[in-house]
Amino acid sequence: MTIRRSARLYVEGTVLLSLAAALCYGADAPTLKPVSFIACPIYRDTNQGRKSGCWLADDHESGVRYDIGGGRAKPQIGHEVLVEGVVANSPDVCGGALLAPVHTAVLETRCPAVMLPTENYPGRAFQVSAKSVLPPMDVERPLPPPPYESQQWVIQFNFQSDFLLYQYSEVILDAAARYIKVSGAKRIFVTGYAATKGMQVSGRTVSESNTLAKTRAESVAEALRRLGVDPRLMHVSWRNDPEPIASDGGLEEPSKRRVTIRSEL
Amino acid sequence: MPTKGAVGAAISAGCAAFLLSAVFSAGSGAAEAQTPPEGETWWSPGSGREFPAILSYADERGIITTLNLKGPTDTRGHPFFTSLGTNGRACITCHQPADGMSVSAHDIQARWQATNGRDPLFAAIDGSNCPSLPQEERASHSLLLERGTFRVARPWPPVDASGKRIAPQFDIEVVRDPTGCNTSTVYGLHGKNPAVSVFRRPRPATNLKYLTAVGFVFEPKNGFPLPIDPESGRRMSGNLLADSRAGTLKLQLLDAMRTHLETEGDLDPAEIQRILDFEGQLYTAQGVDFVGGKLDDGGAHGGPETLALSKPGVLKSSRDVQWVEYSPWAASAATNPASATTDTPGSGDAQRLFRESVARGAAIFRERTFLISDSSGLNSMNFGNPTRDSCNFCHNMTRTGMDVAPGQVDLGTTNEPFADPAPDLPLFKLTCHAGEIPHPFLGATIYTHDPGFALTTGRCVDIGKITMQSMRGLAARAPYFSNGSARTLREVVEFYNRRYNIALTEQEKQDLTNLMSVL
Repeated sequence: MTIRRSARLYVEGTVLLSLAAALCYGADAPTLKPVSFIACPIYRDTNQGRKSGCWLADDHESGVRYDIGGGRAKPQIGHEVLVEGVVANSPDVCGGALLAPVHTAVLETRCPAVMLPTENYPGRAFQVSAKSVLPPMDVERPLPPPPYESQQWVIQFNFQSDFLLYQYSEVILDAAARYIKVSGAKRIFVTGYAATKGMQVSGRTVSESNTLAKTRAESVAEALRRLGVDPRLMHVSWRNDPEPIASDGGLEEPSKRRVTIRSEL
Repeated sequence: MPTKGAVGAAISAGCAAFLLSAVFSAGSGAAEAQTPPEGETWWSPGSGREFPAILSYADERGIITTLNLKGPTDTRGHPFFTSLGTNGRACITCHQPADGMSVSAHDIQARWQATNGRDPLFAAIDGSNCPSLPQEERASHSLLLERGTFRVARPWPPVDASGKRIAPQFDIEVVRDPTGCNTSTVYGLHGKNPAVSVFRRPRPATNLKYLTAVGFVFEPKNGFPLPIDPESGRRMSGNLLADSRAGTLKLQLLDAMRTHLETEGDLDPAEIQRILDFEGQLYTAQGVDFVGGKLDDGGAHGGPETLALSKPGVLKSSRDVQWVEYSPWAASAATNPASATTDTPGSGDAQRLFRESVARGAAIFRERTFLISDSSGLNSMNFGNPTRDSCNFCHNMTRTGMDVAPGQVDLGTTNEPFADPAPDLPLFKLTCHAGEIPHPFLGATIYTHDPGFALTTGRCVDIGKITMQSMRGLAARAPYFSNGSARTLREVVEFYNRRYNIALTEQEKQDLTNLMSVL
């Protein structure tokens, strides 16, 4: 049954992939409806080696405790966290329902610093995808082969942050800079965005500051310059509240916090 | 514990056995009776002595050895050994081979005693607590004598590499000024040339290929690629100087000439190159331990030769294991570890137990995880606060234990409330401006003995961040941390144990101390 349904979905096109994923999660899965809330994060000290602890947060509206540790950036105890994610069908190894993908952003507002013991939860070992890691400088890598064409790259940011996230941003920036240089691009457009209109989360309106789109764009432009991209070719601009773009899990709001790099030959 | 002193001068491979014998005699107490003759342990500027190819001295735990790869070097007229400024100092003054090419508090005190405080080492500009103090009094040099720290006067507000002013994100007030220098009308924050005086240990002028190695393009603590040196076209290192105010050895040299040596005018480019060439050919490490014996014995690869031969900037991994040099010493680990602490020099059991202790220390360093918390530069990245990891997390460059990444971290050695009490150091109150991103864990008001990297960048998030340094030659250059707050290697271990609540056992503390003593 499952095989036949999956096969049919495959031939009907990628639009139905999300539905297929929902069916695979099982009849009781809460579909792919995004979850967003603000909470005080909890660190559970499961010890599966380096960087292995669990991060949990309670959504007050639903009463559900979520496992929020799978994002690009981890929370900080003592600071509230903005959580945006999608419920995954995965065994509970930390003491909460896993959100994957998930975006977490540390907020300035303070809250109690809470840590829990292991309580027989196994947690999970730290893993990082090889695709998220830039090789050392002395590793020779082949240049992108021709034919070359105009390209676009997207770098996402944490809520209210212009920080270029480790083991994510540098891989995109490196790929963009290498391609731009080898392709002989004539113009590069770096455009920063921020979601300043705000959104309602846990009964609060949260929004990004008006200066963020600019500082995000300038950060990316500076990184490209340091990677050898000719600053005279770069056109740096910024604007607020863009349309969402396709992103992992279909999470719309996180996709608005971005910088795009577009090269033209 | 033997007293630090000179028991051997220049050695060659052929007389190593003799030296070993001499050192073990020192280990049993003979060195304590020795008075190092002038010119043997201490290198004064312009002494004209030849700097040999291999140079070894006894230290508190054994023998420190420096390899001079293109040596011997005739130091007559050599700019590293010649006073180039107005205060009589040369590079060699604060980069002594007996002290792992830094300078130890022990030898600073000995120098005070030998010269009645008249050595150029104690120059008023930075070898005293403040130039305005009576220079003939010992108390005026207390921070150098007790902590081994020199005064570093950073301009306020900060300036960038081109000398352009940086608008700081915080205001700075002097809360406590035991030296009088920060409130001085001449040298202080409100003087003619406003400056913040902090007190820091000199870093070793050796093993420099490791300091300048750039393993990765990006500096993940600030998210940007490392800047490129316009002169060489190479990426600048982030591992130079406590506050990273210079990105190349040349810039560091020029800064040191202008401040520590008080040179006037520009240095000849050829002389600059001679200094860079000389310091670039030096490799220093502990070579012998009084108890453990030769550190390249029993399958181990300690000592400076391994440093000279190895590739710099290599990130530890399952293939390049940190402190793999001492892994062979773990092979015989089977006895009661509690008996590993002994002062018996060189005896069979004592030597074996010591070596096993070193190997256990290396394993603890790599594998013993604990919760790292509230450390700006680490927990403020995307790792979370806290994050579980080991010493190896930050000290990840093979051979030296520096950070390949590289960058600056606020461990809490200078920022309250984590810093140890230091009534002898100045205390500053830093208040971050409204609208600026505050220090991620200490908020908008921070009390600190040394703002560190923030004196270079002007950013609140950088307050108290200090550049990690090489872990080599430690036994010869106490005290430790940038402000000399740890008098012994054991105190270094105790600081980390307290700071991160690691709950090390007595044996684990001893193992880590022994490991650091043989690097």
